[in-house]
Amino acid sequence: MILLQQILNGLTIGAVYALIALGYTMVYGILQMINFAHGEVFMIGAYVGMTVLLMAGPGSGGVLWLTAAMAAAAVACCLLGLMMERVAYRPLRAAPKLSVLITAIGLSFFLQNAVMLGYGAQDRYVPETLSVRHWGGAGGAVVTPMQGVIFAVSFLLMLGLQGMVYGTKLGRSMRAVAQDPLAARLMGIPVDRVIATTFAIGSALAGVGGVLFGVHYSTINFHDGYLTGLKAFTAAVLGGIGNLPGAMLGGLLLGLMEGLGAGYVSAQWKNVVAFAVLILVLLFRPHGLLGERLAERA
Amino acid sequence: MRNPFRLAILFLSLISLAGCGKGEPVVKIGFVAPLTGDQAAHGTDMLRGAQLAIEQARQAGEILPGYKVELSELDDSRSPAQAVAAAKRLAADADVLAVVGHLNSSCTKPASAIYYEARLLHLCPVSSNPEISRQGFDTFYRICPTDDLQGPAGARFAFQKLGAKKIFVLDDMTTYGRGLANEFLAAAKGLGVEILGHEGITQGEKDFTPVLTKIKGLNPDLIYFAGMFPEAALLLKQKQNLGLQGKFLGGDGLFEPALIELATPEASEGMYLTTLGGDIRNLPTAQQFVREFETRYGKLGAYSWYAYEATRIALEAVRRAGRKDRAAVLAAMKGMGSYSGILGVHAFDSKGDTSLRTIGVYTIQQGKFQFVEATEG
Repeated sequence: MILLQQILNGLTIGAVYALIALGYTMVYGILQMINFAHGEVFMIGAYVGMTVLLMAGPGSGGVLWLTAAMAAAAVACCLLGLMMERVAYRPLRAAPKLSVLITAIGLSFFLQNAVMLGYGAQDRYVPETLSVRHWGGAGGAVVTPMQGVIFAVSFLLMLGLQGMVYGTKLGRSMRAVAQDPLAARLMGIPVDRVIATTFAIGSALAGVGGVLFGVHYSTINFHDGYLTGLKAFTAAVLGGIGNLPGAMLGGLLLGLMEGLGAGYVSAQWKNVVAFAVLILVLLFRPHGLLGERLAERA
Repeated sequence: MRNPFRLAILFLSLISLAGCGKGEPVVKIGFVAPLTGDQAAHGTDMLRGAQLAIEQARQAGEILPGYKVELSELDDSRSPAQAVAAAKRLAADADVLAVVGHLNSSCTKPASAIYYEARLLHLCPVSSNPEISRQGFDTFYRICPTDDLQGPAGARFAFQKLGAKKIFVLDDMTTYGRGLANEFLAAAKGLGVEILGHEGITQGEKDFTPVLTKIKGLNPDLIYFAGMFPEAALLLKQKQNLGLQGKFLGGDGLFEPALIELATPEASEGMYLTTLGGDIRNLPTAQQFVREFETRYGKLGAYSWYAYEATRIALEAVRRAGRKDRAAVLAAMKGMGSYSGILGVHAFDSKGDTSLRTIGVYTIQQGKFQFVEATEG
């Protein structure tokens, strides 16, 4: 029963990591850059969700308001992603990779401090939306309704994304740009627009992840994006950065390992487990679990 | 005036002239606490207490003839590095004659060394780790009881009043949390309580379900948490979500109304915490403070009265010194012997610790802190 409960806990946070990891991996796949401000997009999604749920009033809410909160966060983060790409990254398209990386870190600080000034530096309470406390399941393990929502929403979004990337024209353009931006441009693919769309989709997923995280853990803070973002990045590397199913698998695995490590080894080693995974993967399997060795670009 | 150097000199002298014309000379009481960050609620309470003390002193007349008294407030956002930076700024400011500060023991401890080197009187309102006063700094004075009293008092309450026979201990791995947890553990073992385990959690983390699930499997009578309110709120909420039974007892770091808001009244219902001192509303000497604080700020914050008391003692030392001189203020503090304040009569021992040894116990009922009992440690 304890093991089952630990697995459920691990998969819950793992599903959130997976949603954020998708954004890292999509942007990396197309631009070979790591958007370190992505964790902040996730955090801002949580704040947008909280603002919507506060409008519902304390003690009320329900599935409808939760859906509204996720939709609002998705839209807001989508716009934020577009803006980040246009203002901070597009002007640096031809610049060395290090400049882009440092810009991303600067953007991350900027967003954190902007939220701190807007919402205050203290922890904020995210109102509860679902009235049922928890369901007792098989063998004494319990599942909260919010955990159910997290599983359902994240798997639907992941399936949707997979379908979009492999089944639509936009998805085909994204894969083309990822393979070779120059050739894609020669074939008439609007490369800049595809890149902007990638940022928008990745950010919207992170925004929804933020709402799920905020409601599940019930408090949020302006620096929550930092650690969670780093762990989602670890998940993306674990699965093979640039690889969509890899990001999902990496997120779930990381959540699971962290939960089991904290539960069976020691709670104070929780973050050590997560980042030891990052180091080991980089040492022994730098392309991740599902990543393929890509030919170096000329 | 073609020479830019001469232009600069003229500009600088204008600035210094403007500085000269700036009103009467001042003396300052330094104040440091987390005014931003997740523990800002505690720091803001403390700041209000200190401000009230300064304003009352101004109304009552001059502390130091010819000088205006000001509060110089700085933020350490509970980070030891920022605490040291703030301490250095205060030490370098010649107008500062005494410091009231720091919330967290992990901040107070390194900062106290800087005040000691600067020969600056340091009044510590709430950092309760006993190691701080064992460093041998004669500039250090503390007005709250320490964790070698609070930990055992918590253990006695858990065992004797709550009937806890099997206890799991959690702390936040800070100077305060780990220290308090160890004091609690030693006392609980001495009482014959079975300790099922002792684990640390990381401050700023959100997901404590792995360790709570482990605790659920061990089925303790009580969980003891030595840490601060933001993590306690998450622990209480996740404990409720997991359907984890067993009572919950914490230390004074949980004494903050924001805990109930963040954890929800439902999840915090029936939890217990120990506090550094008895029920402030039952102390005859504190009634005037409670009234004035509530008319001015509305809600009475838990650490406000310690900061108020510490600031009043600092002002008294400055008044007795009679001149703007750090050494004279220190000598005046040493010569004070005892101080009769709103919390009682403080007689400071050779380490600078107060003689007040009361530890209170509170519970949460229907979203409010309720006083349970007070014991002498």
